[in-house]
Amino acid sequence: MPAPQIVLAQGEAPIFAIGDRVRVAVRFPIGHFRVPNYIRGKRGAIVAVIEPAAVNNEEEGYGRNAGSERHYYRISLPMTELWPAYPKSSKDSLFIEVFETWLERI
Amino acid sequence: MPAKQELLTHLPTEFGGLQAGPVERVEHELEPWEKRCHALADVLDFHKIINTEEKRRGVEALGAELIGKLTYYERWIVAFANILFEKGILTPDDVAGKMEEVAARLGEARPGT
Amino acid sequence: MAEHKHGHGHDHDHDHDDRDHDRAAAGIGSGDYVPGYFEKLEMSIRELLVERKLIGADEIRRQIEVLDSRTPALGAKVVARAWVDAEFKKRLLADGRGACEELGISFYDDTGLIVLENTDDVHNLVVCTLCSCYPRPVLGLPPDWYKLKPYRARAVTEPRAVLAEFGTIIPGDVEVRVSDSTAKVRFLVLPKRPKGSENFSEEKLAALVTRDSMIGVVPVELK
Repeated sequence: MPAPQIVLAQGEAPIFAIGDRVRVAVRFPIGHFRVPNYIRGKRGAIVAVIEPAAVNNEEEGYGRNAGSERHYYRISLPMTELWPAYPKSSKDSLFIEVFETWLERI
Repeated sequence: MPAKQELLTHLPTEFGGLQAGPVERVEHELEPWEKRCHALADVLDFHKIINTEEKRRGVEALGAELIGKLTYYERWIVAFANILFEKGILTPDDVAGKMEEVAARLGEARPGT
Repeated sequence: MAEHKHGHGHDHDHDHDDRDHDRAAAGIGSGDYVPGYFEKLEMSIRELLVERKLIGADEIRRQIEVLDSRTPALGAKVVARAWVDAEFKKRLLADGRGACEELGISFYDDTGLIVLENTDDVHNLVVCTLCSCYPRPVLGLPPDWYKLKPYRARAVTEPRAVLAEFGTIIPGDVEVRVSDSTAKVRFLVLPKRPKGSENFSEEKLAALVTRDSMIGVVPVELK
């Protein structure tokens, strides 16, 4: 007998997978944020899906301790993508965790 | 001179990518009150009275002048006071009254007075 | 033991010799030491919260013990174990927190841990540009320099120059990877095992591993 089909709740499944190419969104919240300005609009790749899904830390900063959990992703961004002055031949990179709502697939 | 909105869209505690001088390898052993302050942060987080992210936001909300002039744990304790006031857990009067009491208690302990 | 240089990032006069180290337990000033404004603020907030039963009377003291028990020696133990035990190292790289918990290291702050292995091809460096995120459960409290502007500003823009200021030169064919901690995951660098340490016991290996090597600013050297 086949296993019963389950339907995942909204936000339960990660949207991105390791290797996906992504861009950090460009928007400028005030108040509290955890996506540094220096990575906004920059392009990189997913290197890890952080489990379990967790609260958006930008809302957590205002007291939200639970609800609408989504995934954080560890992404890699080439230094040459971040800084025009970085030597063009370098393979150095920056790794950072970003909440799902800040990432766009490219 | 940055545009005014950059004072909002760039956090005063956000340093990634800014110009800065050489790293000076300074460190100090925590004073007892600093360690108590750190322990207080952890205990407040355990109870979810003030979670760690709220503490960060509270420090950011101090603004550039206080952030520049207060030490690391001074920023924390002021941020805690502000957040506890916002949440209605303590009032400024509670704290002022208690500080008077503490000062008097310390005054009594001081020799030669 | 940490270097005791006097730098808080601003002028700050106090005389350590007059400080009564039992005050932390007593909660009251004694001797010639006069608590400053912010210490009195800390005392007041703590006492009010205890009076109102929002926190327990003994919780702060207990948490200080927890903090005091977390030192770089814990991280060094993890590193040394990974160097001598290939299966442990595999588990450590797959699940940093889980492997540390095997050694009895609890994560009281519920952070995650990713262990970053330095190899002949990759050198890792850890920073928190937004605040001072640091793997406290396994390393203890971070040094001031880690929390101050120069490191936090430049570790992400010019990591090789910052490493050079620590005396660490990374060859051009080695990739430098900077991890900026922004969420719930913390990072511990697994430094390269130094040449010449092949016959060292696990204990002797652990004694070589410094805090700064687990942040990634210096290698581990034979003493």
